[in-house]
Amino acid sequence: MRKLPYILPFLLMLLLAGCDKPESDLPVNTRLGGEFTLTDHNGEPFSDSDLKGQVSILFFGYTHCPDICPAVLARVAQVYRTLDEAGLAGQVQPVFVTFDPQRDTAAHLREYLPWFKADMIGLTGSLDEIRQVAEQFGVVFIKGEETKGDEGAGYLFTHSDYIYLLDDQARVRKLYPADFNIDEVASDVESLL
Amino acid sequence: MWKVFSRVTGVGLAMLLAGNAQADLVLSDAWLRAVPPVSPTMAGYVTVTNNGETPAIITGAHTEIAGHVMLHDMATQKDGTRKMRHLSRVEIPPGESVSFAPAGIHLMLMHLSRVPVEGESVSICIEQGPESAVCSDFQVSRTSPFDA
Repeated sequence: MRKLPYILPFLLMLLLAGCDKPESDLPVNTRLGGEFTLTDHNGEPFSDSDLKGQVSILFFGYTHCPDICPAVLARVAQVYRTLDEAGLAGQVQPVFVTFDPQRDTAAHLREYLPWFKADMIGLTGSLDEIRQVAEQFGVVFIKGEETKGDEGAGYLFTHSDYIYLLDDQARVRKLYPADFNIDEVASDVESLL
Repeated sequence: MWKVFSRVTGVGLAMLLAGNAQADLVLSDAWLRAVPPVSPTMAGYVTVTNNGETPAIITGAHTEIAGHVMLHDMATQKDGTRKMRHLSRVEIPPGESVSFAPAGIHLMLMHLSRVPVEGESVSICIEQGPESAVCSDFQVSRTSPFDA
């Protein structure tokens, strides 16, 4: 019994070690996300389980999109710069899923995405595979009419443009609009690390 | 007779010229979103102010780095999706401005002969019909250089 004063600090340390990180306030979104398999920018299979063990920022788009998609990519890169200043960028993975597999091949994504962030993962696949994943994330995309000749832009998409924050179990924890607040996302990411 | 003809012709010519008079447009805060070198398109943003006394009708734009430039608008649909649509004209009332901005009206540059790099400036001309254009240097930047 006399040993108690010596043991107590150790017990306290053990207790504190078990709860050194407060749980994030962000709820798990059980209606979005789930299992999927696509093809990454290196042409290798990539599934949701490859996202486990790290926090991810995932979004859908297409590289021929001139306005929204480069803007979102640039903002995601800004989030990483903010996280980098806190020494946290290495623990977060950006993932871009195209809904234009016809033009966004693995090779094209490999050339396009590193310009925004060197280790950004690009995912493509068959149209059916992408439709399935898009549906799981509640993403809507509708291919526009194809135009030809000098007047043409090829084709464009009508699409939703949310950004998804995934935890280290690849579960959706929060959605953001395309013009998201950079500090808010960085702070939410930090709460999941 | 010649004097009368001459006067009528002169008035007619003046009326014609007045009818064709182009509004006095001023371009400001012009920039192009920097994109990867393999990008097939770019978006341009600018504030266009009509300092004239008549409405200005923007009908298009051109630049030597793009085979074609279109006026586009990004409209939010009822279901929340964003849809790009081509505009054949943008009207600016006298004394007012229109902002070509991200997620709104913008210039879409297509068939790029080259992709300018961040820090460069590119001349782009805003057209009021086939005969008139006002040009400005657009700064190439990843984010707006004009945001506070």
